[in-house]
Amino acid sequence: MIADRVRKFFVIGFVIVFFSYLFGPLLLMSVSAFNSSAFPRVSPFECFTVEWFAVLAQDATLMEGLRNSLFIGFGVVLIAVPMGLAGALMLTQVNPRVRPWYYTVVISPILIPGVVLGISTLVFWDRLGTMFGASYDSIFYDGIFLTIVGQSTFIAAYAMLVFISRLQRFDTAQEEAALDLGATNVQAFRKVLLPFLKPAIGSAAVLAFLASFENYNTTVFTIVSESTLTTVLASKVRYGINPSISALAVVIVVLTLVGAVFYEILQRREAAAAKASEAVARGETATRAQQAALYADPAVIIALLVFIAGFGTVYFAGTLGVDECKVAVKEEKQRLARERTKMRQSLEMFKGAAPGVQTAPATTAPKVRAKGTEGYENVFAPSNLEETVDSDSPAQQKQQEQPEEKVESPGKSQFQNIFDPANLQQQSGSGGTN
Amino acid sequence: MNPSLALQRFFLKNGMALGIFLLVAVAFWMFILIILPQLFMVDFSLSKNLPPAEIGGPKDVLTFEHYKFMLYGSAKEAGSFNTVDLGVFMRTLLAAFFVTIFDLVLCYPIAYYLAQVAHGGWGRLMVLSLIVPFWVNEILRAFAFRIMFGSAGVINTFLIWAGILDQPYDFIPNNVALYAGLGYAFILLMIFPLYNAIESLDKNQIEAARDMGASWLRIHWRVVIPFAKPGISSGCTMVFMLTAGALAAPQILGGPSSLWFTQIIYQWFNTGGNWPRGSAYAIILLVSTILIVLLVMKIFKVKLGEIAK
Repeated sequence: MIADRVRKFFVIGFVIVFFSYLFGPLLLMSVSAFNSSAFPRVSPFECFTVEWFAVLAQDATLMEGLRNSLFIGFGVVLIAVPMGLAGALMLTQVNPRVRPWYYTVVISPILIPGVVLGISTLVFWDRLGTMFGASYDSIFYDGIFLTIVGQSTFIAAYAMLVFISRLQRFDTAQEEAALDLGATNVQAFRKVLLPFLKPAIGSAAVLAFLASFENYNTTVFTIVSESTLTTVLASKVRYGINPSISALAVVIVVLTLVGAVFYEILQRREAAAAKASEAVARGETATRAQQAALYADPAVIIALLVFIAGFGTVYFAGTLGVDECKVAVKEEKQRLARERTKMRQSLEMFKGAAPGVQTAPATTAPKVRAKGTEGYENVFAPSNLEETVDSDSPAQQKQQEQPEEKVESPGKSQFQNIFDPANLQQQSGSGGTN
Repeated sequence: MNPSLALQRFFLKNGMALGIFLLVAVAFWMFILIILPQLFMVDFSLSKNLPPAEIGGPKDVLTFEHYKFMLYGSAKEAGSFNTVDLGVFMRTLLAAFFVTIFDLVLCYPIAYYLAQVAHGGWGRLMVLSLIVPFWVNEILRAFAFRIMFGSAGVINTFLIWAGILDQPYDFIPNNVALYAGLGYAFILLMIFPLYNAIESLDKNQIEAARDMGASWLRIHWRVVIPFAKPGISSGCTMVFMLTAGALAAPQILGGPSSLWFTQIIYQWFNTGGNWPRGSAYAIILLVSTILIVLLVMKIFKVKLGEIAK
């Protein structure tokens, strides 16, 4: 008995450790999205803020990547899902001796590293383009087209797997009955098989879209000079980051959770019927099916609680206390910030208005780096620096008069000046009174 | 069987429109998307790195120079091995191997627990919650590890607060963050095949073994693991292939002085400007990972057909 209990303790402990490994990083990243610190971090947690979501929405390169990603995702769905469907239907009809070979070929893109797929697609279309003497702005060199094609190569295999598992449950007698009753082949396909495959088409489409949306390894080669959300993200993460990326992660996690709950509800509806018939077949599973129906709710309940708690916190923290907290933190840092400002000012005088800050990025892959820094260019722009230096002394005076007014360290206020319109008004307004 | 007869029968069965759709879609997928690009890549890797104008000209001859370069480096220092690239290559494969083992050890108990022990709403909730991190972007997942392992990250802060460390430990240059992130990235491709395999095991078999007095360890060794072997091998295959071919995690979490083999390939395509050599390296990666998988499968006596299920 004691041994049993010890074992149970270890099992539960292991489950907890595993799930914290799974969710800990995502949780911490989400927390860092609400920290007002300009660098994505959890500790020290300065102030609760939602400003990074605004920064995110203003990021033009990211938004362009997002647009491309959505477009590519729809293109991949349109190509990969029909191909996967055809592949699965073909598998049921192909000669049994050829079948293993056929299956190996169409399933292989799942196992081939994405990097290799991207390279082979790029090389293939490049060579075709050279053969036909196509110009560089033709379709053979178009990043969006290449990415759709390259991703479809393996995403069609995912779709095919979805269709195969659905087809395994198809009773061919239905189709034969339709044919016996005088339906043509096309009619039998459209009226019997296609309706049966409809849920699978839906889930294959969702799967294809998501797989396309989050793909990086293939895309990074096929995208050429365009950008997608993942390539923009990758260059941002590598060459300069602020918590707006965490904010994006929060958005994605929340969307995923919503999708998962939605999927769960749909699945349960579908599974209810299947389980009922299964329960008849196997006496033992009947109790399990009932149990599942009884306990069914923790998933939904917990997800709902998380949403409510999350949105509640964001709402309240967004309305109260952000500015006050920031002032408190900033006052603590005030002396340090002032010293830094002084140093920078003397540096400015020394160097002129040269943007000396822009030395951070590494030296590899200059093409990508240019893309990555684009979003931050205005932050480090010389004109901005001047602006901060100018506004610095009024800000200090202001702080003596009205303590709740926001006073930022120089690096910080640049971000806010740019991205938060309200802030801009506040500062220029109070500047006027001075 | 006569091919034209088979084709006739095929069209009779499917009708003209559907038959053409099936043939065209499958042919496009198999040849234009899968087979021809791979063949073109092989051909390309055997050609010289020439400016576009000279392609197809007299200088465009077959050559093994890119494969030789991988082995021996540039022609100047003939006789010595290309230690940099070979070292990175071996390190990548070795690390991928250990990441695979790590994932297997981590996932097996969980898969067993979810498939055989947990049931009802909580079991479903846990299975469902496994999916959530999987749909979060690979780059964002790596980014999360960077936040955790950075020198001002949570782990360092905690270790210093707990008095274990005096000053921040650099997890990133020492590749701790990289291995943790890689293990994390493909964990779900390990757990789902395991889960599917173990779930189809009849509980009575475990009960029977227990009734006969088998110890807990022996039940797993003699009953569960042999039964789950196809799931284990397909999970390991996927994790190994994907880890060896990972690009995002090494780019984001790798230390400045350590490279992943895919990063070298990436460099040949971008800054290096030598596409044929990049293709040759990609083929080396592809062929060697496939060979390793086949070898390991041979050792453990798993058939390819079982994995594909």
